[in-house]
Amino acid sequence: MRDGNWQKFWVNMSEEKYRILLSGYIDNELSPDEKQDFEVHLEGCAECRKELESFRKLKEVTGAMKYADIPEQVWEGYWSSLYKRMERGVSWIFISIAAIILLCFGSYHIFIDFFLNSEVPLLLKIGIGCGIFGLIVLLVSILRERLFAKKRDRYDEVSR
Amino acid sequence: MTKENCDDAKLMVQIRKGDQSAMRELVERYKIKAYHLALGMVGNKDEAFDISQEAFIRVHKSAGKFNADQRFFPWFYSIISNLCKDCLKRRAKWESKQIDIDDNDFLLVTETNPEKIILKKEAARNLRKAIMLLDLSSREIIMLKHFRDLSYDEIADMLKIPKGTVMSRLYYARRKLAEILGEYE
Repeated sequence: MRDGNWQKFWVNMSEEKYRILLSGYIDNELSPDEKQDFEVHLEGCAECRKELESFRKLKEVTGAMKYADIPEQVWEGYWSSLYKRMERGVSWIFISIAAIILLCFGSYHIFIDFFLNSEVPLLLKIGIGCGIFGLIVLLVSILRERLFAKKRDRYDEVSR
Repeated sequence: MTKENCDDAKLMVQIRKGDQSAMRELVERYKIKAYHLALGMVGNKDEAFDISQEAFIRVHKSAGKFNADQRFFPWFYSIISNLCKDCLKRRAKWESKQIDIDDNDFLLVTETNPEKIILKKEAARNLRKAIMLLDLSSREIIMLKHFRDLSYDEIADMLKIPKGTVMSRLYYARRKLAEILGEYE
């Protein structure tokens, strides 16, 4: 970078530093030294004075507002509705465990009673086997697509 | 020691042991805070209420993972924050279901003077719209500073960032918010 460009770069950096201190100044979060340094800069910087004014106005607008609350009776029923949700959560865990056990049991019996049964025609076994295999491939494919879409989520910037 | 006098970490230890009254005490302590934090992020009362409850369910489920040496609130905040992000992601995917900020008065004026209230209502409407146009990280820091009035140290602790980053992030967020509000005037 040429000398002139460096000078410009450092001036911009220093200006940016004061801009950032502006937030700390308005919130009374600067150390005494930083505050004094900033106030000296402020006297000679019209841009910072203008921005300080706009931040003060913003603080005034937000200071005159509060969060919308919800009716007291909703707060009173908060715990009981939360408790019901937690109870339902436990129910879902048991239902899921039951579903997994039944699925495993069913799969085992299909394998033993159907695929290992010599009385069932081979063609039927092949047909059913292909159907099951197709369903498994389809499920894996959908899962993979979902995972791929999640990785390339264009709204990913909402994560910190 | 009564539950009311217990600190958060002790309550978490009791929750881990299955004590429902400890869970209830924790909920009573943080339900309004949780709701307001979520409301500031998602801007919709129903979704914020739902997120606040879901956050407590996660606390209950993850009580075993909570380290008693850490402070409860920053940990709880990270749960709320992640739930809000998930909610906004879902909303962004279903654009037709995006909320109409005009119908979601999540910020209200505190003015009682009838002459000034109309002007303030207009300002509140503009502010609500402007806040929802901010990116999530700017919106988050604006809500924590302007509507919860937390110190930079507290914000740094909650967001797990250095104090200097709080100051700079707040500066850029305010500048953006002032710019958007300027467009409405």
